Amino acid sequence: MSRRPLRFALSQGLLLRDELTALAAIGCDVTGVARDARRLLVRGGDLEFVRARPADIATYIERGAADLGIVGKDVLMESGARVLELVDLGFGACRFVVAGPRDAVAKSLDEYRHLGSLEVATKYPNVAERHFRERGLAVEIVKVSGSTELAPQVGLSDWIVDLVATGATLEANELAIIEEISASTARVIANPTAYHTRRDEIGPLVEKLAAWAAPR
Amino acid sequence: LTGRAQQVGGDGPPRGFRDILPTEARELRTIAHALNETFASYGYMPLEPPIVERGHASPLLDGDRVIRFLDRDGELVALRPDITTAVARLVAQRYAGTTGALRLAYFGPVFREEPAMRGEEREFDQAGAELVGPTGTLADAESLALLAEALARAGLQDATIEVGHIGAVRALFTGLAADALDDVMRDLRGGDHVGALRRARDAGLNETAIARARASLAARGLDVESVGVEGADYLRAVLALAQELYPGAAQFRPNFALIPALPYYTGIVFEALHPSIGFPIAAGGRYDLLLGAFGEPRPACGFAINIQRLHLALYSSGWRPAADETLIVLEPGDPVATSRLAAKLRRECSVTIGEPAEVAGLRAVTATVVDEEHARLADGRTLDVAALREHAARWRDS
Repeated sequence: MSRRPLRFALSQGLLLRDELTALAAIGCDVTGVARDARRLLVRGGDLEFVRARPADIATYIERGAADLGIVGKDVLMESGARVLELVDLGFGACRFVVAGPRDAVAKSLDEYRHLGSLEVATKYPNVAERHFRERGLAVEIVKVSGSTELAPQVGLSDWIVDLVATGATLEANELAIIEEISASTARVIANPTAYHTRRDEIGPLVEKLAAWAAPR
Repeated sequence: LTGRAQQVGGDGPPRGFRDILPTEARELRTIAHALNETFASYGYMPLEPPIVERGHASPLLDGDRVIRFLDRDGELVALRPDITTAVARLVAQRYAGTTGALRLAYFGPVFREEPAMRGEEREFDQAGAELVGPTGTLADAESLALLAEALARAGLQDATIEVGHIGAVRALFTGLAADALDDVMRDLRGGDHVGALRRARDAGLNETAIARARASLAARGLDVESVGVEGADYLRAVLALAQELYPGAAQFRPNFALIPALPYYTGIVFEALHPSIGFPIAAGGRYDLLLGAFGEPRPACGFAINIQRLHLALYSSGWRPAADETLIVLEPGDPVATSRLAAKLRRECSVTIGEPAEVAGLRAVTATVVDEEHARLADGRTLDVAALREHAARWRDS
């Protein structure tokens, strides 16, 4: 039975430059991907590269539409997709944090005692929900699609759960980190079935990427 | 009244459930027949637990993946999310004290809650076989051989059966405290190799052991020998025996990265994979502790085949059920003569009276009834009962 080329999914956006650097460093032909940002499916050597939004990559790989790929741990935590997480590439570092108005943490905790619940705005409802359940705090999650930092300033929520790299955006919006939920970096992930049945092709790629990431 | 009927019938089935129409249903029955015949040929006896079980926590799945509801008595009941658990309960209760080997096979629907928008079904069929009692290489090999032979007899080619060993994976992390080991195994069951190895290092596993674990988790096929995993010898013996039990073209692959999500496995674990679909077609293994949860500790090994995935893999590789039946369509003449002719033909053929709107992919031969012994074909020939049967058979074999 003839097999289609191994399909490698790349996260578009912030991670892409580092992804291409890593793949070029281990000898993959990524010139096609780098050249034309409009083509979403590009052949490079023995591989077929797919560019997709990070949040969709876990879905592609879980369902076997792509065999392996690179995506942030943050995306995996939110999606809950059943995939294999094989290598920590080290780049794309960011953190999930709980943040609130800089001077009002004490006030919101007082409010919690009186009102029994806090409102938390986030783009990542699954991560937020899990975190507060584990902490034993009763919260109402408010799902937003962007500009989460705005929510406390306009009274949409008491706190936010967001992904931060440097914290500058929080700072600019007079928010302070209340606690860190977890750190995230880019991961090499694979569809389990593809990883098992095409180990001869996927294994060496994973090994090389691990060796590339190790000294970093 | 018509208005009301339209209103009631306006919606399709709930999300994740669907109608299976005749062409597909006939294919599924063909598959079921091949699997059930194979199970029977290994001495596995059929068993039918109920669709609904008590709704307390399933050892198989998170509570939120089980479809549960309160019945009229106020009791929490669940649509069974698998059949292995029901078999374990049934064996513990109905065969309590039995010491010999039990070979049990089943075929039926199971139900799982799936989040919306994931394209997942909430109902699918499972066929499985459980061997309760025996342990060791021969028992484990029997499960593997039975799975390989069942898939082959259903018509599946190009499948590999990946075989791992939970005991061997745990042995890679020998030296960790029990809690830390449980956490590492939970990460691995969730597919998180990065997290598992990091946790093992944080819990004090030395770098040599980490490197060995990493290499072992990447090893498949012959590579398993070179990393020297504890348990590789056992697997080799099991696979060799499985190949003797089923000397067909089965492809067994030792593979220590095969770590199923289910927590109840204790020994060998295996999955049947096919290059055309991204999900396992069948999964199983040794689960020596599950029956203990029902108060009757007994070792057991078994597997379940996901029939819809098997069907998908068969369909993608060009399989269609053999047209082992031809339908004779009688254009009716005199009602009594038509009825008598149909009755005579049905001793060997399938017959409908009048043109059917659905033939489910069967070949249909149309004949106009002349009298109770004869019918006329479209080409003008008039055939008697014996000739009609023969014509249908020839059509089938052509």
